[in-house]
Amino acid sequence: MQRWIRNAALAASAVYLALGAVSCGSKRGAEKAGALNVAAFKGGYGLDFFEDAAKEFETERPGTRVKVWGNPRVWEQLRPLFVAGKPPDLTYPGWGMDHWPLVYENQLMPLDEALAGKPWSGDGKWADTFEPALLKLGQHDGKQWMLPYFYNINGWWYDKALFAKHGWTPPKTWSELLALCAKIKAAGIAPITYQGKYPYYALHGFLFPWVVSAGGIQAFDDMQNLKPGAWKSAAVIRAASMIRELADKGYFQSGSNGMSHTESQMEFVNGRAAMIPCGTWLNSEMREQLPKSGFEMAFFLPPTLDAGIGDPTNIDIGIEPWVVPSKGKNHGTAIDFYKYMTSLPKAKQFVERKGTLTAIKGSDEVKLPPFLVEPAAAFRASKAIWSVEYIQWYPKLGTASQNATAALLAGTVTPQEYAERLEAAAELARKDTETPRHTVTR
Amino acid sequence: MRTNNRGRAWFVAGFLAPATLLYAVFVVLPVCQAFQISLYRWRGISEQKTFVGLANFQRLAGDEVFRQALGHNLAFLLAGGALTLGLAMAIAHAIHGNGRWARVIRGVYLFPQIISMVVVAVLWMFVYNPSFGILKASLQSVGLGRFAMDWLGTPGTALPAVLVTFVWHAVGFHIMLFSAGLRTIPAEVQEAATLDGADGMLRFRQVTLPMLFPVLRVAIVYMVIGALNVFALVYLMTVGGPDRRTEVMLTYLYEQAFKHSDFGYGTALAVANLAVVMALSGLAMLLLRRDPTEAKA
Repeated sequence: MQRWIRNAALAASAVYLALGAVSCGSKRGAEKAGALNVAAFKGGYGLDFFEDAAKEFETERPGTRVKVWGNPRVWEQLRPLFVAGKPPDLTYPGWGMDHWPLVYENQLMPLDEALAGKPWSGDGKWADTFEPALLKLGQHDGKQWMLPYFYNINGWWYDKALFAKHGWTPPKTWSELLALCAKIKAAGIAPITYQGKYPYYALHGFLFPWVVSAGGIQAFDDMQNLKPGAWKSAAVIRAASMIRELADKGYFQSGSNGMSHTESQMEFVNGRAAMIPCGTWLNSEMREQLPKSGFEMAFFLPPTLDAGIGDPTNIDIGIEPWVVPSKGKNHGTAIDFYKYMTSLPKAKQFVERKGTLTAIKGSDEVKLPPFLVEPAAAFRASKAIWSVEYIQWYPKLGTASQNATAALLAGTVTPQEYAERLEAAAELARKDTETPRHTVTR
Repeated sequence: MRTNNRGRAWFVAGFLAPATLLYAVFVVLPVCQAFQISLYRWRGISEQKTFVGLANFQRLAGDEVFRQALGHNLAFLLAGGALTLGLAMAIAHAIHGNGRWARVIRGVYLFPQIISMVVVAVLWMFVYNPSFGILKASLQSVGLGRFAMDWLGTPGTALPAVLVTFVWHAVGFHIMLFSAGLRTIPAEVQEAATLDGADGMLRFRQVTLPMLFPVLRVAIVYMVIGALNVFALVYLMTVGGPDRRTEVMLTYLYEQAFKHSDFGYGTALAVANLAVVMALSGLAMLLLRRDPTEAKA
């Protein structure tokens, strides 16, 4: 009897060990096969476009195999792969990745040489097929480390149908905004809702546009360049006071400070709030929840100060970069595949299929979905763009500024105290000798 | 006899080996590694590590946010613990009988415990939703609508709001503990106490509670561990906000490691967390080591 049990236990452990060996073995098998390993963040735009591109690429380049994998938390899996020295050949790590340490620790391949080469089709340089202002966001120390694919434009959203019904028009200036908010409130609708649980949205939607408007784009560049005093400048205090004014007048939907992005966006989509700040991903994020009819999501740039010195065409954009890991096994094919993805026909297809703009010049020359018409026009009309980069450059300052913004919106600090808190956090970033410095240049 | 014994030892060892091996590889080894990593500056993105000695722990000693987070954990332990244990004790006592309601409650009290923490958090976010939440609707239906507010977004109410959810989730498990404990108390003891004139609160204090002591001790240690390691609930409901008003040790750890790429400091926070949990559960066991029923015997 005992022997029988012992044998069974031995058999069980043998099976256990064998399973382990098999699972390790299969992994090695995939590497041996030499497929191009592409890891991508699976967000609102899914993986299907990249998977389809991979299949097409395999026919374009016979004998090549491309494996695309990913999920909504892919950055958490990429870290140990980078540490182990076995990163994918090409990756889009997604917004949750702390990107710049990859550059500091030589985990990425500089792409300047590739960009100087030919694009997928035609002559000229690959670099020239990208919007230069967006390409610039992936540079550091004179080298190109990251490449943009699609990009987001941040602004405010409204429901055209609702506005038309009440005879409202999207406000262009601060005084127009205040007047409109009073009307909306009188109609029994909350004028503005926001994603308070993640103060990142309020920074993009309220604070920075108004800093740019009050102090010009330079005021914001100075902040990102950690210029002493820039985080408590008059422009910052003015912008913070405007946020408080909206809160004090009851123009923010009550309860928005604790709402997640989906909660507040639901309020907007369901017509309980008239306006919301968000990036151009809003439509794809809320696709499932959009009312079947009668809702026309439309974009406008954040209202500017009546006597603002900032150029009102300046817009806030953001990229989610793609990178080529230096320890990848297949640099050439990785770049070739990315060249294919960034070829004009593919980029146009991405715009059409996914409803978002890409960094490839001319890729917006397709039939845009209605909600994307305004953002595309704003990008073409912009004399300069700005991008909130410091959260990635200096994550601690990013966190501190977001916490302070939550306090400002909750009313536990005054605009003056808020600016002092921001400046103190910027001072810590200036003193941080471990994190390399970045500079915005115009 | 001897060979038989040796065979038996091998037999036992054979059964223990896989579990011991797994425990060593997946628990003991990572803990040792954690101690090691906490002495380095490491971004967690390559093998590049810099030895910094105890610098991470020096920073920890002066870290206001860590102190604030620890304070919130203690709030979970003290306020959340007292509420959970009090409620669980009362409910366990109430359903000890055999009435219809007792049977109904016995059938459902464990529900909050068996649903996933993620579902609990989402469920309570709906309860607290300032636009269409049940809490707001309930207050309005009894004419107290003016007390409805942004529970999770207001600095003063966020922590209590998360605490209520924590208690709601934890209470079922403790009812189970206490119910099982109550069943081990011989009916004769209770009857004898009743005959001696000890009834109601007196009987509870003098007979039931002392006889539940071993169970209570276990419950308190569980509470210490649960309250100091709370993460998913806070992370999902408030992400530690607004303005760090619900930050707890583990959400802060996550921020440092994954958002700030400071795995050295994050690991130092993990070591500190381990030390606090061990110290407080040790303290609880030390304070509660004396079983009152034994002392009287």
